[in-house]
Formats: sequence, structure tokens, C-alpha cells
Amino acid sequence: MILELLINGIEHQIEAAPGDTLFKVLRSLGYYGVKFGAEGGETGADTVLLDGKPINADLYLAAQAEGHQIATIEALGEHPAQGWKRTEGLHPLQRAFVETGAIQCGYCTPGQILASKELLERNPNPSEADVRDALSGVLCRCTGYKKPVQAVLRAAAVMRGEDVEPIAGLDRASPAPPEWIPPEGGQGAPADDFDSSFTTQTRVLPQIKVTPRAEELQRVGKPEPKVDAVKLVQGKPAFAADLEIRGLLYARVLRSPHAHARIKSIDARKARALPGVAAVLTHVDIPRVAYSTAGQSDPIPGPLDCFSLDNKVRFVGDRVAFIAAEKPEIAEQALHLIEVEYEVLEPILDMRQSMQPDAPIIHDEPEYVHFADSDPSRNLAAEIRIDIGDVEKGYEEADCVFEAEYVVPKVQQAHIEPHVVVTYWDEDDRLVIRTSTQVPFHARRILAPVLGLPVRRIRVVKPRIGGGFGGKQEVLVEDVAAHLTIATKRPVIYEYSREEEFIASRSRHPMRIRLKTGLKADGAITANDMYILSDTGANGAHALTVTGNTGHKSMALYVGDGKYRESPNIRFYADIVYTNHPPCGAYRGYGVPQGFWAVERHMEKIAREMGFDPLEFRLKNALRAGELHPFSTAWSEGREPRPETIETCALEECVRQGKAAIGWDQKYGNEQWRQTGHRSSVAGRPDRGQGMGDGHLRKGIGVALVMQGTAIPYLDMGGASIKLNDDGSFNLLIGATDLGTGSDTVLAQMAAEVLGVPLEEVIVYSSDTDFTPFDVGAYASSTTYVSGAAVVDAARKVAERIKSRAARMLNARFDVETFEQTNVKLIDGKAVAPGGEYVTLGEVALNALHHEDQEQIMAVGSYVSPVAPPPFAAQFAEVTVDTETGQVVVDKLVMAVDSGVIVNPITASGQIEGGMAQALGYAVCEEMVYDEKGQPREKDFRDYHIFMAHEMPELEVIFVETFEPSHPFGVKAVAEIPLDGVAPAVGNAVLDAVGVQINANPITPEKVWRALKER
Amino acid sequence: MKIIEYHRPERLEDALALLARTDPRTAPLGGGTVLNQPSDQEVAVVDLQTLGLDLLEARGRTLSIGAMVTLQALLDCSETPPALKAAIRHEATYNIRQVGTVAGALVSANGRSPFATAMLATAPELILQPGDEKMAYGELLPLRAERLPGRLITQLTIPSKIKLAYQYVARSLADLPIACVAVAQWPSGRTRVALGGYGKSPLIAMDGPDPDGAEIAARDAYREASDQWASAEYRSDMAATLTRRCLDEL
Repeated sequence: MILELLINGIEHQIEAAPGDTLFKVLRSLGYYGVKFGAEGGETGADTVLLDGKPINADLYLAAQAEGHQIATIEALGEHPAQGWKRTEGLHPLQRAFVETGAIQCGYCTPGQILASKELLERNPNPSEADVRDALSGVLCRCTGYKKPVQAVLRAAAVMRGEDVEPIAGLDRASPAPPEWIPPEGGQGAPADDFDSSFTTQTRVLPQIKVTPRAEELQRVGKPEPKVDAVKLVQGKPAFAADLEIRGLLYARVLRSPHAHARIKSIDARKARALPGVAAVLTHVDIPRVAYSTAGQSDPIPGPLDCFSLDNKVRFVGDRVAFIAAEKPEIAEQALHLIEVEYEVLEPILDMRQSMQPDAPIIHDEPEYVHFADSDPSRNLAAEIRIDIGDVEKGYEEADCVFEAEYVVPKVQQAHIEPHVVVTYWDEDDRLVIRTSTQVPFHARRILAPVLGLPVRRIRVVKPRIGGGFGGKQEVLVEDVAAHLTIATKRPVIYEYSREEEFIASRSRHPMRIRLKTGLKADGAITANDMYILSDTGANGAHALTVTGNTGHKSMALYVGDGKYRESPNIRFYADIVYTNHPPCGAYRGYGVPQGFWAVERHMEKIAREMGFDPLEFRLKNALRAGELHPFSTAWSEGREPRPETIETCALEECVRQGKAAIGWDQKYGNEQWRQTGHRSSVAGRPDRGQGMGDGHLRKGIGVALVMQGTAIPYLDMGGASIKLNDDGSFNLLIGATDLGTGSDTVLAQMAAEVLGVPLEEVIVYSSDTDFTPFDVGAYASSTTYVSGAAVVDAARKVAERIKSRAARMLNARFDVETFEQTNVKLIDGKAVAPGGEYVTLGEVALNALHHEDQEQIMAVGSYVSPVAPPPFAAQFAEVTVDTETGQVVVDKLVMAVDSGVIVNPITASGQIEGGMAQALGYAVCEEMVYDEKGQPREKDFRDYHIFMAHEMPELEVIFVETFEPSHPFGVKAVAEIPLDGVAPAVGNAVLDAVGVQINANPITPEKVWRALKER
Repeated sequence: MKIIEYHRPERLEDALALLARTDPRTAPLGGGTVLNQPSDQEVAVVDLQTLGLDLLEARGRTLSIGAMVTLQALLDCSETPPALKAAIRHEATYNIRQVGTVAGALVSANGRSPFATAMLATAPELILQPGDEKMAYGELLPLRAERLPGRLITQLTIPSKIKLAYQYVARSLADLPIACVAVAQWPSGRTRVALGGYGKSPLIAMDGPDPDGAEIAARDAYREASDQWASAEYRSDMAATLTRRCLDEL
């Protein structure tokens, strides 16, 4: 049918099928600002305005839109200066999103801005509740919604004509009343009253306790706008799928309906005969190459137990066949024409059954390649046995021993941009893979043997990534499209549906964790023992390393006190087993959130049963600066362990600051407060109506102390190159992958600091295996630290070349020989001598490139760290528990974190806020459940609930800076640690409120209700 | 659905003629939030947007709601009971409320629908075409597959002078309910209890001249309501607890 659509004021006449969605038509017309998030419209990434109202374009037929006005993000503002042409610039909303750091991955940003635009047009002076309601239809997995809300309120003020201060000039208000801040070692003043009617504060900058060594820095530590923000607020075609390419084929994958089955026969003739089908590939059509999908350094620390296509399926959703067709609809139709005969095998769906003697064998293929202790004949993917000190002796010396078992669920990364890849042959017969990946270099190396190509004939291009959280540290879709391109010689796009994200991507490992802890009567831990049974699912990617980190981080925090501090007794054993669940993999936190759920619930129980103050007890036993990381001599992820001393640890100050922000001294143990009887009123949250029965509501407060790592020592490597341009600007080329974290920005800030230029003089490009230096990719909280050190290395080399030339130029200019390279400083785009004489970097560049003794000033830097300095944090939660229904409502989360020097407080606090929101789901609602046949319960965002803008608790971030001496700017990691402590803090708060122990997260209403009944 | 035809008739008669077809199967398209989701079933759709079915009007003691009234319009209506507004907010985000229609939400609802549960408590009366047939929503709910093909809901009415309460339990405030209860009370004392959070559709636990026995009825109605999300024991207890709270609120 022919449709006439009015899009952004322009009439389009197009031919469309009756079922074509508005989303499909807009994308086909090049409006790439509208994004795919989910078929059911739950993400709102597909938001457009229809007659001014926000709707989901993927839920609306193009035909329905005829006769209406359609507006996309492309209708808003644009870059103010486009050569000789001047525009009106960005819309105030777009500017506010840039300034406030409301953009992380930027995938949902167009939707958020359009929804906000409609709000401000009907209500120029909205409340925070109004903003949150308007944003309720656009899911964001990165930000925790705090900064987007702030952006809308700021834009509203601008549009009302009010003066707003620049972000950098804003005060960093204290997160707590001054009298609540306890003196060192003391307690805060008691509260006269508890004001429970808070709203999320419209403050952009987090509280920072700045380390003196960072105060003198010019670019590092400043709230610079993200270098990629302007393109993202315009909805520019920055993502992998935002590509127009002639002859593109659409890939689909036939997936297994069975949890465990052998393919007896497969007949694809009917599918191949369907007009429009370009290729159908089954396991008999492609080489059988065993590999691992884990995006890790060589050699991959796990078994090679995966095939692009196999004659056996090992979970519901496993691959059976690949299809490429001219249209997605044809590919979908062809799926139904493939005839498969299965021999259904008995599945293993309970990890406790995996290693039983009569259990079915999931990996019986002869091509299986072992790693370390893997033993597929016992369904064992990996095994860990670590003994530090003498645990048994520690128990003998203990006055009491506590034992308990904890359970953590399988959960999803749930990035809003799905896995997506486009592959094509270039003019040199090299395979180009444009993919949304965290690990472009690993992907190239892993794919080469799978595809039968040498590494040199593969180019992996990482465009903008719409969130990853570990889910894209996996080679999950690239081989599908690549096989089909090889088969058809044509470009192929393969984009996961949301259902595929749930049934056929990766997830956090579910675990059963046993803890046994010995204590002296004074609270000193004498021995600590963790055993883990971990379900890796059908493949062993990340099996060893994820679970290794569970112990390496969570069991390292509490070493004991007195002589036990000097020589801790720790045991960490784990069996990581295969089951017929979808494979697990990397998920932000990388095993550590599982460990801290158990450890921090356990510490709380011990403290309460022994009558210790929970914070004093924890700090008494916690690791301190100057001490040896207890696991550093016992286990390392991929390399021989080497001793590592903790140089910086501000855990005590984090506790002090966090206590003040949450009001710990005023609330903990305060029965009057617990009975305050009504839930805090948070702006925008759904009103559950009156008559909840205030007497049934009890408040509680909880804490968890946590630590993470910063990169993998002697393994993670980052590279960077910097090139001086004619005008004194620089190209910074990095292999690091910004998946929304802001790493492109903080790396540019470090380069700008060394080179003495404003941030806009550094043009960042990342990452392309043909052009950028190697980097392991975005994982292990390594980018700011490892890739940052590489950037600094390259920048220092470039700076020295500039200073040398500048000294020569100054000598020539003043006809002297007194200017020396060592005395020249790079400040504000100039090379400045001690007396103030200077040449600009533009002059240096012209001199170097055109005038004299010509050379390209350029350098490559790289870095591998010998240490992995841990960030530390105190995470607090305040909850309200309904004692009749068991429902837990989290009212406030506070995180005080020592991540070393904070390079960019806006991006860093955004990371923390988003991480806390993600971890909140782990605490109360996120889990993936399977029935007795392995069929998944969760296939979309209606059943797998992630937190929305209008139901968020108040979030508070406090940075307690230390200067980590192993890094040029003193940084440590930020990215993963917020995932670690929210769930146990919430669990401990529930315990505080109603006295029940929930040992298995998420803490659902029925679990609490049942525990209350059984109390 | 796999949509193979799209029609946008200007007259109700034309719409009904299209809907009377069985080959291809033809369905009315409200906002489209359900029909437009992927499926293998082929269907022709009849877009109702030009039929003038979006009138919302308070008439005496009733609120007359056109089938194409959006959830947002009903939310914005001053006559809409506050508890129904809460259920609408719980049902759908701001985006979905702009296109999701009242009739569409009611006919496509499963048991976890807050809106359908709250509406069911108000005893809505539907008008179906052709024939101006009046039918109670509670009567239609279990028979949607049999009674709706070839028919079109054009309007529904709910009493506007009733008191309504809505309560729910969920894993988070905006999550789908594990159990939800809506209780409507008429000036006469008539009390109607609807339960949701389970099964293919919400259900009526009690419709009596007064609230006596409401909690027991609610508890009994969910005595077998077990699924992957909650046990029957829990749901049954929640049904009673939330019913009591609703009654307290009224």
C-alpha cells in the first residue's frame, strides 16, 4: 500500500506492507534516532511523537500514522556550527542532557528527550513526579534515571527563561545534615525528627571528599561533558544497526525447543526453496570448530566447548540453523520450513544434580578442549581449590562458628540495545564485522579459526554501543552473520530480538554458596570458608574466572584481626557445573555480587547474634591499606599469582560518610524510627492508595561493605596512540571500548591533562582493529586504569616531542640558546617557557608538519598493570517492609566509595547511580526462572522487570578519594563495585525491619511473608 | 499478529462489514499495542480511529467511555475514580497510555492486568455492535474468544458515583501485580470485589449487598491460584489482606 506520512514536517510517499510498523518505515527512511529495544514496546527506545504525544513506533503501524504528524529526534536541534552554516543549535533539552551527564550509552536518549519535550510543552513547570511519569515509558539501564530527571528539570528552567548556573559552578551540597556527620570513631547526633518526605535532589554533582594530590589537576577531576554526547542527543546513526548498505540480508536463527536433545536429522530444502531465502546453514554445512565465546585474552581460561552449529542442543533456545533472507519476514517464514527430528535427552536443570553419578552427560563431543580441571564426563566445567593459611586450625581456635547457605539467581544484563552485528566483504576480500561488542580484538582472534580466515583478513569495527554490562564481552552473534556472509557473499545483519536476549544470550551465574566462619569472642574472625556450586549452563565460558572472582574479592575483604590479620585463614572451593540452562557469562560485577550477597548477609547475622555493632565488627576484620591482598599469592585470573599490597583503602571514611548520608546513627536500632509507620514519599512513585495499614509498615536500615578489583594484573593490556594535527589538536586512537561508561571522555581528559589542551582539542576514536592499538576491551573495570595509563604514556611521549620542538622554536624566535625542553610546560594549548614566552601548539604543529625538520609528532603508549588496586565502598539501604504482604520497598540507597581519584565526577557518579539501580533489581525483582522442561519464564520486559523512572528510590553517591600510587592520576575502578552491595544491604535492612533472614535473593514478597509466618 | 490487510473505515457500518469476515480473520485495531506484536497468525485489521469512538462523557450517575478513549484520556478525566487512575498508572507507562485504548486493554487483558481488575470491580456494561447488545464485562471476560469475533465494542459505561479502592502486591512498585484487589462500593451498600494477578483474566470474588464475607470470599477465590509467580497459599492470603485494606480505605 502507498502511504503518505508527514515526518518532521516533510511529506513522504512510501510503499509499505499493511503490517509494517512505523518503526520499520522510519528506519527505512533513515530516521535512525528511533531505536529497537523490544517487540512489545517495553523499552521506549522506539519513542517518537505522534501529534505531539510520545508513542512506541514499534507498536504502531505505519498505516495508522497516516494523517498524523510524526516527529523524531532528528526534528530537534543540531550542532550549532556546521562550517559556514549556522543553526539554532541544540534544543534546551538536548543541551541539558549533555550538561548534566544524563547520557551514558545514549541508546534511550532520543526517547527520553522526546518524552520530555512533550511534557514541557504541556507543563512548563513540572514537578519531579511529573518528569518521572513522563519518562516512565522509556527504560534506561545505564543511569538510574537521576541525571535524566535532573536534565529535564534544568531544561524546564532554561525554557522558562530562568538563569541556570553552569554545572561546574554548582555547589556540591552535603548529602546529610551537618550534625549527622559523626566525628572520626564517634557517632552522629540523634535526630529530633525524621523527615520522610524527601525527593530525589536535583543536584548534578556528587559529594566528593577530594584528595589533595588531585586538586592541582586541570582536566582530570572536572565535570566535562562527554565527548560523544552531542551526537547522541541528536540521535545520529552511531550504533551498529544504523547502517544503510546495498544488498543487505537479514539473518534469523532457528532455536531449540528442547533443553537437551540430539538432532537426528535436519532438512532445510523447503526453507531454501522459499523465494527470498539466500542461505540456510545447518551443522552439516559449516566446519565444526570448537571454541569459546568468552571474550578474554589468549589463552582463554576456559574449555572450548562451543560450536557455531552442533548436532546436539543443550538448552531451550540453543542454535539449530541459520537463515539469511532478503527481508526479515521471509527469514521468519523460512524458520518454520526447516524440518528437524530430535532425539530428546534427559536434561539437567538443577545444578545439584549435575555431578551425580547417573547424571546425563551434556558435553560428550570428542572435540571438547579441556582447560585446567574441566571434566565433562562429570559435567564439571571448572574447579577451584584455594587454601590460604589453615582454616581448620582457625576453627579450632574459634570461640564460635557460624554456618549458613545462600542462593543467588540467574539474572540478565538487559542492555537496551540488543546484540547486533553487520558483516560484509570489503573490496580487498577482507571480512568486515561491525558489531556491538565490548571486545573487538578478542572477537577477531576468536572468530578467525571459526570462520576459516586468518586474523589479518578480519576487521572488527566497534561503533557506539548501547550498553553491554558484560553481555557483550561475548562472541555471540558475530559468527552467525559472518557464516552467512561467507555463504552468500552478501552483507548480513543479525540483530537479536528481545526474546533471544532472554533465552539465548548470557547471564549472571546462579550459585549456591555455603559459608562457615570462626570467631573469637571479641569478634576477630579466625577462619572463613566459602564453598560454591555454580551453574554455568550449557557452556563453560567465564566459568572459572567468574567464580574465581567471587572468592577472590568477597572472601578477601574480611581477613580477621590481631594475629589472624597478619596470617588469615581462608578457604575458597568451587565446582562450576554444566546444566541445560542457557549459558552464563560475564555480567557487571563478574561473580562478585554473588559473593557479597553471601558474605555480607553472613556478617550481619554474626554481628547481630554476637551483639556486635555491625559496622564496628566489619571494620575490625576488614582489609586495610598496607596489607597484603590475601588472594594475591593464591590465585590470579589467567596468570601466576604474585603478592600485591593494598596501597589505598578509605573504607573507614566511606563508612563515616555513608553513615551520615543515610542517618545511620539516628536510625539503626531506633525502634521508634522503625515504627514511623508510613513509607517515605518519593517523587513520582506509584501511589498504592490509602489504607495500606500504617501499622503494618516497618522501616529498616542495612549496610554492606564491599571491594572489587581494578583490571587483571599482568594480563589486561591497553594501547593508545596520539597524533598531533596541523591546528594543534590531537587524534586519540584507543582500542578501549566505551559502552556507555564515558571511558572515551575520561581517557580524553587524561590526554588533555598531559598535553595541556582543552578537552575539545582531543578527538577520540575507538575502536577498530585496523586502526586503533590493541586493547583487551571493556571489562574487569580496567579501562580508566589500564587504558588510561596507556593514554598517559602516549601523551607524555607526544608532550616531550612538542616541548623539544617548542624549545627550539623559542630559541630561534628570540635568537638565544636558553630555552630547554625540560623547562617547557604545556598549558592551555601553548608550550610555555618559565618566563612566560610561548608558542602555540598550532605553531608547533605547523612547524613540525610543514616548516622545519619535518616529522609527524605521534606516539603509541601501552600499559599492563602489575597490580589490581581494589576500590572499596560502603553501601547503605533504607527500606519499608509491609509485614502483612511481605512487600519490600527500597526508599533510599547510599554509596560512599573509594575509587581513587575521580577523573570526571559526572560520568563517575552516573556509573554509580546506574549500577545501584541495576543492583536494586538483583535485590528485589530480577531473576530468570525455568520450568521442569527448561522452558524460560522470562522472555520480555513485562515478566523480567527492571526498574523504571517512576519507582526509583532516592540515590546518593559520595566519592571518598584516595590517590592510588600505581596510576599516574591516582585512579581506581568505578564501574562494577556499585553492583556488589545493594542486594545484601537491602537484605540486611529487611532483617533490621522485621527480623527475618532471606537467604535467597531476590527478596520477593512471598519469601518475606513466608519467613514472617515461620518466625 | 501477521497483519495482511489494513482498513480505516469512516463509517461504523463499513467497519462491521469488515469485521464480519472470517477469511481473512479480521480484528478491530484500537491503539494497536497488542495486535501489533509479532505473531504468526495472519489477520486483517480494521483501524477504528476515524469512527468517533473516543468520546468520554459523564451522564448522571454513569461515566460513558467510548471504546477508543485512550488510557491517558481516562486518567485525565476528572470523573474517573482515583483508584481507577492508580490502576491505569499501574497498567501502562506514559507512552503506552497515549495509544492504548480502554476497550483494547479490556479485551486483551490477562489476569495480571491492574486496569481490567479495577474496571471489573465497577461492573462495566459494554455495548457491542452490531445489534446494540449490552453485556456485562464480567460476563464477556471468560467468553472473549467465542463472543468477540465479528463484533465490535463501541462503548462502555461505569457508575461514577461509586467508591472504588485498588490495592496490590508486586516485587516492585511498577512491576506487574502478584495479587491485586479492587473493591467497588455503591451507595446502596452493594460491594463488588475483583481479584487480579493470576490466570487468564481477573475474576469477581464477591458481589453482594454489603461487604460482609468479602475477605473470606476473596481468600476462597484464590485458593487454587498457584503459578510460577506465587503459591496459592500466598495469593489466597493476599486476596484477603488486600480486600480488607480496600474495605478499610472505603
